[in-house]
Formats: sequence, structure tokens, C-alpha cells
Amino acid sequence: MDDDAKPSPTPRDNPGKGLFARDLIYAVGGGFALFAIAAFAFDAGWLRDRKAGEADGDQDVQAAMFQPPPDSAIPDGPEGDAIRRGQAIFMNTSANASDFVGNNLSCSNCHLDGGRRANSAPMWAAWTVYPKYRSKNKQINTMEDRVKGCFTYSMNAQHSPTGGPPPPGHDVYKDLQIYMHWLATGAPTGEDMEGAGYPELEMTSAGYDPARGAQVYAANCAACHGGDGQGQYDINGRPVFPALWGPRSYNWGAGMARVNTAAGFIKANMPLGQSNRLSDQQAWDVAAYINSHERPRDPRQTGTVQEAAQKNHGGEETYYGRTYQGRLIGVGTPEPTSRARP
Amino acid sequence: MIRRKRTQAAPPDGPEETFEPYEEFRRIPLPVYWIAIALAIWGAVTLWDNAQAVGVGRQERAEQIEETPAAALNSGAQIFEARCSTCHQPNAVGVRSAIPPLAGSRFVAADPAVVVQILLHGIDGPIDVGGRTFDAHMPSFASVLSDAELARVATHVRQTWGGDRQEITAAFVRVQRARFAGRGAWRGGEELARVVDPALGPQPSAGPAVISAFADPAVLRLVNQGRGEAWACSSCHGAAGQGGANIPRLAGLPEGYIVKQLQDYVTGRRRNESMQTVAGALTDAERRGLARYYSGLRAPSTAKPELGGDVSRGEQLALYGDWSRNLPACFSCHGPSGFGVAPGFPSLAAQHPAYTASQLAAWVGGGRNNSDVQLMNEVARNLSDADRRAVADYLATLPPVPAVTQERR
Repeated sequence: MDDDAKPSPTPRDNPGKGLFARDLIYAVGGGFALFAIAAFAFDAGWLRDRKAGEADGDQDVQAAMFQPPPDSAIPDGPEGDAIRRGQAIFMNTSANASDFVGNNLSCSNCHLDGGRRANSAPMWAAWTVYPKYRSKNKQINTMEDRVKGCFTYSMNAQHSPTGGPPPPGHDVYKDLQIYMHWLATGAPTGEDMEGAGYPELEMTSAGYDPARGAQVYAANCAACHGGDGQGQYDINGRPVFPALWGPRSYNWGAGMARVNTAAGFIKANMPLGQSNRLSDQQAWDVAAYINSHERPRDPRQTGTVQEAAQKNHGGEETYYGRTYQGRLIGVGTPEPTSRARP
Repeated sequence: MIRRKRTQAAPPDGPEETFEPYEEFRRIPLPVYWIAIALAIWGAVTLWDNAQAVGVGRQERAEQIEETPAAALNSGAQIFEARCSTCHQPNAVGVRSAIPPLAGSRFVAADPAVVVQILLHGIDGPIDVGGRTFDAHMPSFASVLSDAELARVATHVRQTWGGDRQEITAAFVRVQRARFAGRGAWRGGEELARVVDPALGPQPSAGPAVISAFADPAVLRLVNQGRGEAWACSSCHGAAGQGGANIPRLAGLPEGYIVKQLQDYVTGRRRNESMQTVAGALTDAERRGLARYYSGLRAPSTAKPELGGDVSRGEQLALYGDWSRNLPACFSCHGPSGFGVAPGFPSLAAQHPAYTASQLAAWVGGGRNNSDVQLMNEVARNLSDADRRAVADYLATLPPVPAVTQERR
């Protein structure tokens, strides 16, 4: 209250007290005024609306990549019908290609947004690189060969009603391929496309460790995939969250059974809608945790697991054929007696 | 106000006679005027702006609600796509070992009353379709589709997959609606074959009837009369747990989910004054008992779109999400048709739009912070205000979850 220039009219015990009160009023009042101006600016739209989450880093990245056509652009006529059939197989594989699926998974479980999502092995990027040489089977692969591999390993066709993938030239391949072809409308052929496949994570200095991964899993994955990794089902027994290991998951021959592949997928896509929430280390560890559990056998195995590991898994980041916690990994899980929920 | 504070800030600390009201002679410093003027302008602009926005919003909503009856006049094929295809699939092949196919199904080709009765009451028990047994729970559409809509979708299903050209009329549906009014779901194919159409042939039996009356009198007393600070649940949530406006529908929510919410009110991870009082007054056993009670309740839907949201945009978000905004589909976690996945993911179907929208706002505003892995915080943050209203209104059009008690599950 008391101004230095003017002596106080009353004797004061503590002249500093008044000064403090004045400063406080100015500070609080000024703060209010600033807040009011900012609120006004926000209301008037001068500031960008953060609430709507317009510009997350990941969305910018996604927006800069190839954009496949929307469903509304599916043409009419026989070609459009085939695209829709292919899409139905892609989204609900165990029902629409039921003869060849031996687990509860669908293509869209790992290729998110119906095969559209960049960094989730999108179909528009895969379509343009086939036919190509693959070291997995040491030959030129057509897209049909590649999809056959998906059924054989990721969809665990060995436990399907027919006991194998669709035979060559089957309509399932044709419908899936025309769906992919349509998703790749306007995509360049023979060029590496940004967002293709899953991102490759560099190995961390600490390596990967299933024990650390178990903690990551409990905190970030168990809510959806279940504490036991067997996924979750709705009241009708329909799978909502896919099984990550055990008899109803992908088998040991699947790309996702490799720790590095799973780590890349997880880092870019999990938890759903929260890309890059996990650190590289966490992604490696949780991928190791998931892929150190037993799952259906590798259908290529003819002799022992160790022989199959040498022949088919040489140089891979995999637990197949390794001994972990006193247990040989890769022996497989028994064929489920029912395809319903456990 | 500021002047009064100044007076209080310098009370006379000496004896009365030395007191001088010196403030009277001091001018209010100029910055204080500036601040006061700035605040006054802000207040006036905000009030004006708000009034405008409310007016515009009201008008928009009125326009959109007027459009709704026209949108409801859609074809059987459109109703099928919107109402049936999430479970039975667009090509009606169903889902292996969970949802029966319609294509080639005896139920679809049987007497027209069969399809209509299934649509009206739902199914809750095993049926045999094409030599395979499905033990599933289909909801009742009686409270969400009109007679005319039911007639159109039933005709579409029978013409497309049953090979019958005959048209089912709204009058026929009306008669069928009155025929077994008030009954629950059909208890599997065996009951349908016995009561509606013997041509359905031998059907698996649903087993002995489960006593559906909820027996625990202490829990029923809490629901209907309450006890002290634990007010009667039904006083807000309705006699059948159907809720209303911004009070949630509880009927059919997963048991574990309800228990967790009650606990979270107590720990403050979820905030609501009334519910904090009530939940705090309940014992653990009472919370479990109430959760069990409500999770097994089936009540017709009383929810209707009321926020003027774009229902087709809401449907898009619920079924497919919008990955350009990093939004996964609602149903990718809350289950097909929004029936929920016990225990963590609540059913959303037939929930009241005002409640759904208020929760989406609470995830952002901090009033609710009890989602695993912050899944809902992220989703709600990426939804615009219009999208929240859209998805809330869409969910209100869905048939209520065919709740299953633990005994029946």
C-alpha cells in the first residue's frame, strides 16, 4: 500500500506488507487478463485446437504416405463383387475361408485397417513388389505363393478342416488378390514405398529379455489380449482380441513368430491407436515374451525340432529350437478339439 | 470488489483513535482499471459468443432430427447392412463357431413367422444350422425397429437367402409382435420348432430352464429402497436399470466392469459426486451383488439419438474407426455390435447419448481416469465434438445387449 515516494500517513509495523498485497493484485489480475485474452484467442480459433488431436506426429507421418482408395470407391459389377469378397475374406478369414484356417485369426489382425495402415504391412505396398525372390523358400514367389504362405503359417492351415492352404488357383487367392490390387490403385510399381512392411527396430544394447517383457505385457497388453495371451471373446464366443500364443494363434513358421518382426509390428501399432507408445526396448522385450511361449508346430518340420530349426530358422531372431527355462521351444501345441473359445 | 479487498488488506493495527481511512485519498492504480476492462470485455464477448453458438447448435440439431425420419425409410438391404451384418456378415456367412450363417439356413426358409419372431425376441440357446450347432445370444430388435422396418429387413433376408419371393408386411409383423408380447428370448431352436414352426425339424435342447428371478433380497432392497447414503439405485437408474439422459443404462453391463467402476468412484479415479457418495456407502459384497444383479438384467432400449449427431459418421467410427485421426473402431475393443467384452470393456449398445458423450468429454477433461493403458483417454482426445455426438447417437440406435447371467454363460 505504502508508496516509497510518499511517507505513510500512519506508522506501520511492516511497510513491506502493503507492497506485497499490491504486487499480488497486479500479478493475479494480470494473470486473469492474460488468461482472458488467451481464452478469447482460443475461442476465436486463432490458436490451433489441440483437443481434436489434429496433428499427432504419427498422423502426420501416416498422412504423408500412399493413400489407398476408400470403400466407397469400390466399383460396381463383377470386379467390385470380387473386391468385396476379397475384403470379406481379409476381415473375417476364419468364416469366409473357413476350410483353410486352423486358428481364430484374420488377415486384418496384423494388417490393420483392412490392410490399409502404413507400417502395418499394408497391402498396397505388398502388391507392387510381387513377384519376387524370397529366401524363405529360395524361389521366385508370386502373390499367390505369398498368400499361400500366410495360410500355411499365420493362419495355421495344418489344423484347418482341409488340413492345408487353398489349392493353387483357388478363388480365395483370386478374391484376395483383386482386393490388394484395388487397394494399390495408383501405387508405383517397382519402387520402395514408405510405410511398407513393419518398421525394422535396431537391436538395443540390452538385447531382449522375456522376463522384462512379462512386465511390459502385464502393463500394456493383458487388458485386451488377456493375462494368458489367449485373447478375449464376446458373449457369442466370437474372437474380439486375437490369441498371441497357444493353439489358436499363428504357428512357428509365421513371420510374426520372429522376435524382430513382432517387435516392429508392436512398436508401430500397439496398443491399438497408440503407435510408438512403447520404447524400442519395451517392444523388443514384449515381443520376446510373446514369442517365447509355445504355439502350433512349424508345418515344415519333418525330423526333430533342432533339425527344422537349422534348416528353416537359421540366422533368425527366434526362440524356435532354443531351450528356454529348461524347456525346448518349438515342439508345438496339440490341435484344438473345438475351434470355439478355450 | 478489488476496493473491498484493499480495505481488508490493510486493517487498522493500531488503537482505534490513530486510525485514518487513508485509502479514501488514494486513486486506484491505472493497471487495475485495464484489468477490469479487459475482463469485462472478455465476459461480454464470451456471453455473446455462447448465446450464438447455442442458437446455431439448436437450429442444426432441429434440422438434423427432422431429417431422421426420412433416413429411417431405408430399404431392407440397408437395414440388413446396418443392423445385421456386423454379426452375420455382409454376405450372411456368419462367424465360425459363433454366429450362424443365414445363407441356406432352415430358419430363414421356414415359415415367415420364424424370422420375424427371432427378430422380435432374439435367441438365447442352441440352434442347429446346416448340421452345426451354434449356442449364441441374439438381441431383440423389438425396441429399436418399427413394424415396417422389421417387415422390410425380414423380407430382404428371406428373399436373398431363403429363396422365398413372398413379401412380409408390416401388418404381419404387428400380429407377430402381439402374439408373444412380453416374452423373453427364444430358448434355442427346440422352442422355436415347438411353438412357431415344426418344420424346423429336430433341434438341440436348451436344457433345463434356468431360474431367472434374482433371489438375493438384500441386493434387491438396495436397488429399490437404498440404505442411508446408498440411495436406491432405481431412483436414478430406473426400475429396469435402463437409465435415462446422462444417467447410464446399467442393464447388461459386465459384472466385473460395474464392480470396478464402483471401486474407482471410491478411489477417485472416476469422479461423480452422487456416485462417490453412494459407492462409498456400499460394502465390497454389496458392490459385487449389485454388479451381478445389473449384469444379468435385460431391459428394452429406451435410448434414442438426441444430440443431433451424424449417425452414419457414428456408424463409420464404431465399425471401422478413422485411422486418419488415429482412431480404432469402437467395436474392435467393445465387441461386435457394441455388446462389450467382459470384464473390462463395457457394452455400449443402447446407451444414452448424453451419457456416452459426457463420458467421452470426461476422459479428456480428467473427470475420468480409469481406463486400462489409457485407451479411452487417447480415443476421446482424438474425437472432435461432432464425432462424439455422432458416435453417441449411433450407439443409441443399437439393440440392447442380450445380457447373460453367469449361470447361463
